[in-house]
Amino acid sequence: MNGDDFTARLMSDMDPQLLNFVKTKVNSFIKWDLIRFFYENPNTTDSAENIARYAGRNVNAVKPELEELVESGVMETRSVDDLVVYSLTADEEMRKLIDSFILACEDRHFRVKAVYHIIRGMR
Amino acid sequence: MERTKTGIKGLDEMLHGGLLPQTANLVEGAPGTGKTTLGMQFIYNGIAKYDEPGLILTFEQFPQQYYRDAMAFGWDFRKLEAEGKLKVYMTSPEVTKVDLESVGGMIETMAREMGARRVLVDSLSHFERLTSDPVELRALQYSLINGLKREGLTSILTKETSSLLGETPSDESVAFVVDSYILLRYVEIESAIRKALLVLKLRGSNHDKDIRQFEIGPNGIEIQAKFEGREGIMSGSPHRTMAESFIEAFVKR
Repeated sequence: MNGDDFTARLMSDMDPQLLNFVKTKVNSFIKWDLIRFFYENPNTTDSAENIARYAGRNVNAVKPELEELVESGVMETRSVDDLVVYSLTADEEMRKLIDSFILACEDRHFRVKAVYHIIRGMR
Repeated sequence: MERTKTGIKGLDEMLHGGLLPQTANLVEGAPGTGKTTLGMQFIYNGIAKYDEPGLILTFEQFPQQYYRDAMAFGWDFRKLEAEGKLKVYMTSPEVTKVDLESVGGMIETMAREMGARRVLVDSLSHFERLTSDPVELRALQYSLINGLKREGLTSILTKETSSLLGETPSDESVAFVVDSYILLRYVEIESAIRKALLVLKLRGSNHDKDIRQFEIGPNGIEIQAKFEGREGIMSGSPHRTMAESFIEAFVKR
């Protein structure tokens, strides 16, 4: 077994559901920030422009990430008149998964592993 | 007449029993005077004392800030949300405007599902970013207020004033649109800052005209006695009345 394989195995040593969540849903640092923001402020509904403002980031960077979070079922979108607004999914299972992810992030080892997978996914 | 009690001791007495149901009530003051605390207390007391679920609509301050600030007074907003009695809802004025105008909007749905009776809008000042035209702004505020009334909600709407002390330039038009108008002011007395509360207007009812002192204590806002022997409270720099000056100069010697 080479060093890379060993690291990969070590970094994948986490709850399989959370590992899948990190690899398929979080998969970028902007998404991570957004998920944390909506976890802390769960009843937020707003346009991409305003969400970007809340997150202190550029809307051009945030909007595609929001779209991907919608596609992966973390967020929901709806049209209000001519405005497109985003909010956290109402799906209970997904909300529980988000809660588990944020709670797991309190552990430094978990965070290191999550960062590893996100960087690998971005390559 | 039936009243919607704020549950804030002293304030309900000033309002001769409380706010009128399904009305819009403006609380205006400088930063830090306690507008949001008063609003949160109104919502919390509604749930805890009168079994009236409530909504908080915030346009700038993150909900997590409300959870934290409320907890400092022993009001567990997260628990109340989990029980379905409260929702701290963050959005923007532009979304709120179109949402309230649409049928089956998010606020309407939320209010109906929860059976909400009270709402805190924090703050109305943010609607000013939608237009610089005062006529259009008044129309926007009027539309918001009517949307909330349509949902059967008694609302507290906060509004910021820019200057910390003294008379503040105010957008007077909103005072005509709301049903009651409560002013919070900083007052400088003997090199210390105190806080004053005045009910300026209560449509359809008499109310206390005294300017009362208040403090933000461990349980929220506590209304105290009126400012005795002082004049010019709302100027921010009151002075003794002539009678008080006379007593101070000659009687208390």
